[in-house]
Amino acid sequence: MNEPWWIDGIKSVVIVNLVLLTFAYMTLVERKVMARMQLRYGPNRAGPFGLLQPMADLVKLIRKESFFPANAVDTLYIAAPVVSAVTALTAFAVIPFGPGWEIFGYDVSGYVVNVPIALILLFALGSLGIYGFIIGGWASESKYSLLGSMRTCAQLVSYEVSLALSVLGVVIMSGSLSLVDIVDKQNETMWFFVPQFVGLITFFIAGIAETNRAPFDLPEAEQELVAGYHTEYSGMRFGLFQMAEYINMITLSALCVTLFFGGWHGWNDDVLGPLWFILKLLIILFVFIWMRATLPRLRYDQLMAFGWKILLPAATLNALLTALLVVAL
Amino acid sequence: MGNFLVWVVWVAAAFACLGSAVAVITFANPFYSALALVGNLGSLAVLYLLLSAEFVAAAQMLVYAGAVMVMFLFVIAYLGGRAETPWAGGPGWQAVAAVGAAGALLVEIVVAVGLKAGGRLSEEADVDAFFGGPHEIGRLFLTDHLLAFEITSIVLLIAAIGGVILGSNARSGPESTGGSPARAGGTRSPAPSISAAQPPEGEAAR
Repeated sequence: MNEPWWIDGIKSVVIVNLVLLTFAYMTLVERKVMARMQLRYGPNRAGPFGLLQPMADLVKLIRKESFFPANAVDTLYIAAPVVSAVTALTAFAVIPFGPGWEIFGYDVSGYVVNVPIALILLFALGSLGIYGFIIGGWASESKYSLLGSMRTCAQLVSYEVSLALSVLGVVIMSGSLSLVDIVDKQNETMWFFVPQFVGLITFFIAGIAETNRAPFDLPEAEQELVAGYHTEYSGMRFGLFQMAEYINMITLSALCVTLFFGGWHGWNDDVLGPLWFILKLLIILFVFIWMRATLPRLRYDQLMAFGWKILLPAATLNALLTALLVVAL
Repeated sequence: MGNFLVWVVWVAAAFACLGSAVAVITFANPFYSALALVGNLGSLAVLYLLLSAEFVAAAQMLVYAGAVMVMFLFVIAYLGGRAETPWAGGPGWQAVAAVGAAGALLVEIVVAVGLKAGGRLSEEADVDAFFGGPHEIGRLFLTDHLLAFEITSIVLLIAAIGGVILGSNARSGPESTGGSPARAGGTRSPAPSISAAQPPEGEAAR
């Protein structure tokens, strides 16, 4: 492989910026789509069709005063959003987006890193991201923040189990934890959303809960908790938390595409691979927004009962059945 | 160059590991202690990575830093971080004994490792590309270490069942009848009637 280290650097910069751009425009798309679903117009003042709205929001967030609660624990209060944002951004490194190309005599692979434990690495980073939420809520020294972060923590820990178990079927079928291998295997056989349909459903539901989105957005239930763990945050610190949440959603959708929908494979994917990947990613993101606009929020006991009594057994049974079938066939 | 980088990372991780371990027992606030423990587990994971045990490193982050320590922080944040100075009132016999025990452990480990490994410590280990990967670890679990693996799984299963039993006993105890949200959702009839009946009684008593 003729791939010097600086190509990885370039790829990282491009991917991080693309993910940030997707995040910025997801906020706009989300508001627009939800507005249309509720028979409103949505933001349409900044630029044509409101296309400059994310830039306006960014400028507003940066110029806003960053409040600081008098009793807050300063170091942790400042570090918490950074932890969340960094872990969210790092996770994208292991997701493959193309077959690899030869550009100006250099081999450029279609991923930033290909580690044999990519899937576990993704989950490990996701679980580290929880610290940002807990620390942020605790360091704010506010009742609303603390309750919000407690809810986040309980919810994320509960649904992480189902999330990890739901991808076990995919891992068993492909015989690897590397996302590159999983995508290759799907190209050889079939896309895993057909044989792993139950896995896909449990993954998606657990994924919505993991990203704190409606109908599982109890950590941020406005009516009860103001805004959850980031109640005391403002300005760009709040922006970082918001960014982490959206990027977690994007990463999870990308993981969904990679595990169940053949990754970057599609028609003429030698050249168009990344475009196929982005197209599939956008469709999944749209479903996320659609769910938010359609479903009302669950009660807290419903959330916990659903996670432990329905989702977890379903994911476990799916993994067991897959293992039996793979051994038997 | 690569070797130098490994040394830099090793020194950083080793000192972070020691520093965070000391921080765990010296912080007055339990929340900070728990965070220092997370740092300790993280720097241990880096040391595992340097020993090309990627799977162990990732599992360490996922299980210990990700799941276990989150529960620690959860409980500490709920109970409220009450600061207790660990050295309040000067070093008592416990502190002295703790330092002595730690020293004994250190000597024991150094001696044990030194005796077992002998001169091999200065040689580089011969490690192939699959070492520490999921395939190799899975193979070892199901061949050489099958008994330990199965016993561990049974112990974990017992712990899980015990957790469920303890949780369900606590919920059906006499003092929490109709009080917990899980019950109110499941058996809808008694809980609302009790809560609806209480205010008029209070009114009458007043």
